[in-house]
Amino acid sequence: MSMAGGWWLVRNAECCRRPGVLAAGLTAALPAPAANLLAAVTSPQAAATSPPGNTGHFLLATVYILLIFAGISVGVIVMNWVERKVLAHMQVRLGPMRVGPHGLLQPIADALKLLLKEDLVPQGADHLVFWLAPVVVVVAAFSAFTAIPFGPTAAVSDLNIGVLFVLAVASLGVLGIIFAGWSSNSHYPLLGALRAGAQMVSYEITIGLAVVAVLLHTGTLSMQGIVRAQIDHQQWLLFREPVAFGLFAVAMVAETNRSPFDLPEAESELVAGYHAEYSGFRWSLFMLGEYAGMMLVSAVAVTLWLGGWTRPFPNVHAAGLDALFSFVPAACFLLLAGMALRAAWKMPGHRRWRVQRDGLAVFGSLLLGLGLLLAVPPMRTACQNVFWFVLKVAVFQYLFIWYRATFPRYRYDQLLRIGWRILIPTALANLVLSATLTALRP
Amino acid sequence: MTLRVPERQARGTIRPWAALRERLLRLLPLDLLRGMALTFRRQAPSAVYTEQYPQQRPVVADRFRGAPRLNNDFETGETLCIACNLCALACPEALIVVGAERNAQNRKELTFFTYDLSRCMFCGLCEDVCPTDALELTQDFELASYSREGAIWDRPMLENGPTPKRYEK
Amino acid sequence: MSHRTTPDPLRGGPMTAPAPGESHLDSSEMILNMGPQHPSTHGVLRVVLKLDGERVVDAECVIGYLHRGVEKIGEHRTYMQFNPYVDRMDYVSAVSNGLGYCEAVEKLQGVVAPPRAQVVRVMLAELNRISSHIVWLGTHALDIGAMTPVFYSFREREEILKIFEKYCGARLTTHAFRIGGLQWDLYDGFESDLRRFCQTFPARVDEYETLLTENRIWRERTVGVGRLDATTCKALGVTGPVLRAAGVAWDLRKAQPYSGYEKYAFEIPVGENGDTYDRYRVRLQEMRQSCRIIAQAVDGIPDGPILARIPKVFKPPVGEVYHSIEAPKGELGFYIVSDGSLQPYRLRVRPPSFVNLQALRGMVRGALVADVVAIIGSIDIVLGEVDR
Repeated sequence: MSMAGGWWLVRNAECCRRPGVLAAGLTAALPAPAANLLAAVTSPQAAATSPPGNTGHFLLATVYILLIFAGISVGVIVMNWVERKVLAHMQVRLGPMRVGPHGLLQPIADALKLLLKEDLVPQGADHLVFWLAPVVVVVAAFSAFTAIPFGPTAAVSDLNIGVLFVLAVASLGVLGIIFAGWSSNSHYPLLGALRAGAQMVSYEITIGLAVVAVLLHTGTLSMQGIVRAQIDHQQWLLFREPVAFGLFAVAMVAETNRSPFDLPEAESELVAGYHAEYSGFRWSLFMLGEYAGMMLVSAVAVTLWLGGWTRPFPNVHAAGLDALFSFVPAACFLLLAGMALRAAWKMPGHRRWRVQRDGLAVFGSLLLGLGLLLAVPPMRTACQNVFWFVLKVAVFQYLFIWYRATFPRYRYDQLLRIGWRILIPTALANLVLSATLTALRP
Repeated sequence: MTLRVPERQARGTIRPWAALRERLLRLLPLDLLRGMALTFRRQAPSAVYTEQYPQQRPVVADRFRGAPRLNNDFETGETLCIACNLCALACPEALIVVGAERNAQNRKELTFFTYDLSRCMFCGLCEDVCPTDALELTQDFELASYSREGAIWDRPMLENGPTPKRYEK
Repeated sequence: MSHRTTPDPLRGGPMTAPAPGESHLDSSEMILNMGPQHPSTHGVLRVVLKLDGERVVDAECVIGYLHRGVEKIGEHRTYMQFNPYVDRMDYVSAVSNGLGYCEAVEKLQGVVAPPRAQVVRVMLAELNRISSHIVWLGTHALDIGAMTPVFYSFREREEILKIFEKYCGARLTTHAFRIGGLQWDLYDGFESDLRRFCQTFPARVDEYETLLTENRIWRERTVGVGRLDATTCKALGVTGPVLRAAGVAWDLRKAQPYSGYEKYAFEIPVGENGDTYDRYRVRLQEMRQSCRIIAQAVDGIPDGPILARIPKVFKPPVGEVYHSIEAPKGELGFYIVSDGSLQPYRLRVRPPSFVNLQALRGMVRGALVADVVAIIGSIDIVLGEVDR
């Protein structure tokens, strides 16, 4: 639902952009064929090379929305499991081991548990705002994905104000957190919400300035355009704007309230921070929002600095290199399948482990099937872009976990000092420097 | 005698270029990266320290003070307890009750023996004072029961020991 | 407003509630109950904080949630029977408690533990100091947000607990010592276990240091936080690593050696600023020094009896005694009054945690909420000992 709402926002933004297609925007609510027709008439140049949001293909856009929604949700589930496992291994423990082979079903079990829990609203809480808060967090995190290009055509829409749209919608998340802290009518959530408010607003400035530095090189706000600019430059923007990327990499951790900037939910200080009074499904929405937010900022970083959907060395087209790279997705899945099947094979033969072994074998076979599917030529080319994009985002997710395992937590005042005294001045200086250099460049 | 913690030498003693170098090095997050390298290395599966308890059972030391047991003579099968009541007297929590009656030969004979595990702190004083090594704290450590009464062990329970469910790997 | 003036850190009455006429809406201050159920008050400590935003205007410790009347129990148990109860005061350093109690009663009776027993006591007490500091390190780091050290440190603690279990049959509440010496002689392989531990442990301390000591976040969070100068420490009776971090080289193992500590070469780590960071450094150094003591003790375990001659019916002479030892958290003292009967007439414990906790109020005034957590952690309290 949230995604549809987001798409509607996108449509409206489209209308504002091109007064000529205002009519198309207004008829967004019309049945799909009519909208299609109108869109086709008003923008005849739109072909299959554009995302459905731009061609006005309502049905396809809805399918994409659902796909992305499902994809992000699955991503959150996977991330949940991976985080617990990686964190555990960094801390010389095992992590979940009991529900399913190597705890693979643990996130499902947890989700079920959270769904079945009693729906509690604390006495004295503002019911409406308390209800609204997690919804806002989730909607904000998910809606922004409408403008993220997973591939040249694999996106809901390509907005010409894509970056602005993502930043604007994503920053709405802080409202949900403040709502949660305020409406809980409790001290710890209130403190957490105040921290979140100050933190996210401060670090958004850094994010904005870092992004502007990128825009100097691309000359467009469209997410697709930024990736295309990198393809044209034959260079990731990381190498042109390393400082901006560094600033963004720090600020995005703070923006998503992750360690070492996890003050709003610092469990050793504020118990659970802004969601201390939340439980069950509402709480899980916060978690969903947080993890979706992590993926979102990572996706933005990947799009802006790391070449988006392009494979590594996109400008090198040596003989067979394209084909080689196109096999990587399949190879990855086959490798994972091999690991799972090997683990299943090595499991002790005791009957107590039979369910686990069989489960792992089925999971491995599933991966094997996916890998084989990806090896088929048409799928190989179709899924390649999305694969590289997701892989780059996954690297960031790993970094998030790694930070969490290693660093202590900053204090409130130190966090703001870093934001205002170090990051923002550096970002400004970097922007001025970049602008000067860009202007001097022939 | 004292060991000053070598910390933050007076800044003035450092030569200016060294101070500058220190400043510049500080810009690089080497300290953070060293920590990250450590956590990264520890991911090796061989570093895992977890013991998966019900399936992997800990090796309990010989001297472990766990569930109490009343020992019987190996050959005759008769109890070693002479009902001297020393354990009951030594127990700080007074949780041992020894029942005895005089038999035909005017010797004390054990009739009942209760041991309230719910109050026991496994200090081992009862075991220490037992003159015949009849009372012994064993290596059994799975003592959960479904009721408070279940934690009060009578003589058959003490002689046979608990029978917790064993899980296998 | 009157409560804004900072009172004397050493004194100051109970925290004032808002006056009846004063609406709480007029005040920008908020009362925050930290504890008794809070992840980082290290047990059931309750700190009532008066906050101005995130800044602490005043704080009050409310204790007693873990009061079990240990001192009163002591009046109703024989001297032998009370021995296991002292393990349950500072439950992360049970061996040290037992050492303090046994030595106090021995002093009262006028006996001395045999040399072999003394060396074993020193080894176990130093192992216990390491395990106590390790628990402190892990939880303190966890309070400041570093998740990983707690798992690394508990891994090392496990090695120590395994040695305890092999020696005396229990891991936590060990009841390791008896009045007059020991109950058990060393098990086979004790020396090799200790040697192996002493060899591997310093590298493990290096691991903690890699994660924390130079880490800029850790330093920002601890340097200058919760400063306590030597004068205030002395005035409050603060002992242990907190005092030593303030620059006072006071260690009972050196100042009034007991159990043969004068025979070992070790140093007293001393800090300079008395802040949270110095307490951290001092404790880490102390772990290394303890390792050194253990290594020396293992090489010189004398043969001989392990238990002095103690009457079966133990009735110390009429009199009173105070004996204190350097427990991991500070000076742990036992004051025992004997009326010549089987049980103490009065038994009083001077717990280091309780006394050190008094410094909290002065330290947290003006600090931030996050600092409160760091400071509580840096004092290293165990509520079992504070409340007794």
